[in-house]
Amino acid sequence: MEIKLRYYGQLQEATGKSEEIISKHFSTIGQLNDYLMKSYPKLENHNYKIAQNNIIESYNNPLIGNRIDLLPPFSGG
Amino acid sequence: MEEIRYKRQIQLNEVGEPGQKKIKNARVLVVGSGGLGCPILMYLTGAGIGKIGIMDPDIVTLSNLQRQILFTEKDIGKNKAICAQKHLKKMNSKIKLKAFPIKLTHENATKHFYEFDIIVDGTDNFYSRYLISDQCILQNKIMVYGAIQKFEGQISVFNYRNGPSYRCLFPTPPKVGEIPNCQDIGVLGVAPGIIGILQATEIIKVILDLDGILTGKLFVLDLLNHKNSILDFKKNQKEIDKIISQGKTIPIENNDCDINIEISLNQIHLKEEIVWIDVREIDELPRLTQLSPLKKPISINSLKKSRNKIIAFCQTGLRSKSFIKMIKDQGIRNCFSLKEGAEQLYNWVLKN
Repeated sequence: MEIKLRYYGQLQEATGKSEEIISKHFSTIGQLNDYLMKSYPKLENHNYKIAQNNIIESYNNPLIGNRIDLLPPFSGG
Repeated sequence: MEEIRYKRQIQLNEVGEPGQKKIKNARVLVVGSGGLGCPILMYLTGAGIGKIGIMDPDIVTLSNLQRQILFTEKDIGKNKAICAQKHLKKMNSKIKLKAFPIKLTHENATKHFYEFDIIVDGTDNFYSRYLISDQCILQNKIMVYGAIQKFEGQISVFNYRNGPSYRCLFPTPPKVGEIPNCQDIGVLGVAPGIIGILQATEIIKVILDLDGILTGKLFVLDLLNHKNSILDFKKNQKEIDKIISQGKTIPIENNDCDINIEISLNQIHLKEEIVWIDVREIDELPRLTQLSPLKKPISINSLKKSRNKIIAFCQTGLRSKSFIKMIKDQGIRNCFSLKEGAEQLYNWVLKN
């Protein structure tokens, strides 16, 4: 399955990119996250939420969406 | 006169005379009058919000003027909340503007939130953000949130009609140093401007009971490529119950609002080569002659040359903090304000 990933804020520095498309199969959001942490070890130092098809969901949820956003909190004002 | 002043918005079906009455009766507290707070305050003042509170303990510095559009060069060195109040009064003398030149704390939040219905997060740190969120849950206030990171921004409305809170979205507070602040990474002036105006829009929509309020939704903007998204998120009752069952706000470990500015006596050794600065007046006691501190007037150029850690102190740690902010703004690095006052420093020197 083709998954379009988008990284926000600090995660762009951790992954070195703002977007990418990967073709892989994962049964849960957590499995996708494990894969991303392996690909980008710096992600481990970050706290973020994952949305699939514009809905923030828990890691146990099945991965069904093809659009994934990784979103950290922002600080600045 | 009021009819003429607000004519353009009263003309809208969504506002009308009843809507303008709601705006007039609204009470909004803006915490932080910096990059986000300035545009928020200006539009709320223009719209005729009946009572606006402005809370900020900081002073205006030269590097603020690039984005904190309420302030002028003449405001440098003065408190932001007081300056904001003065300028806003000129825009609209018919509304109540109350300045709080103080820091929001776990101790004073209840008292100050009590006077308001909507609390606006215009802060630049997680410590204050979690505090505002917790306090809004305890006092059932609506929180209008905004934050930026370089060219990106986030906006949401929390605790609206039993909706989710900031902790529902981000239950785990970031660790120290995980997310840098604007001070450290830079920001274009327009970024907080745009996010602040979107916060002001949500505030007015909340007051008018309009549709489309960002509750349970996080609006994420990217100003570089304009790929914006609205992400839905759910209420996490466990997070909310945690606050309610304790009956008080829960301070997060990452006290990032002061982290780069303050230093405590237990973090330093007398043997360290330290440039001490006494920012008090000459007649304030005790004197710390043992440390041979620099006294006013202090030459910024000589500090620039210093390779040692610079620590400023005063009677309580307040004036020294303002001083450190001022010299940091002028490019001095490795400088801190002593958390403790001169008396404690005096005893510490005797003991060591």
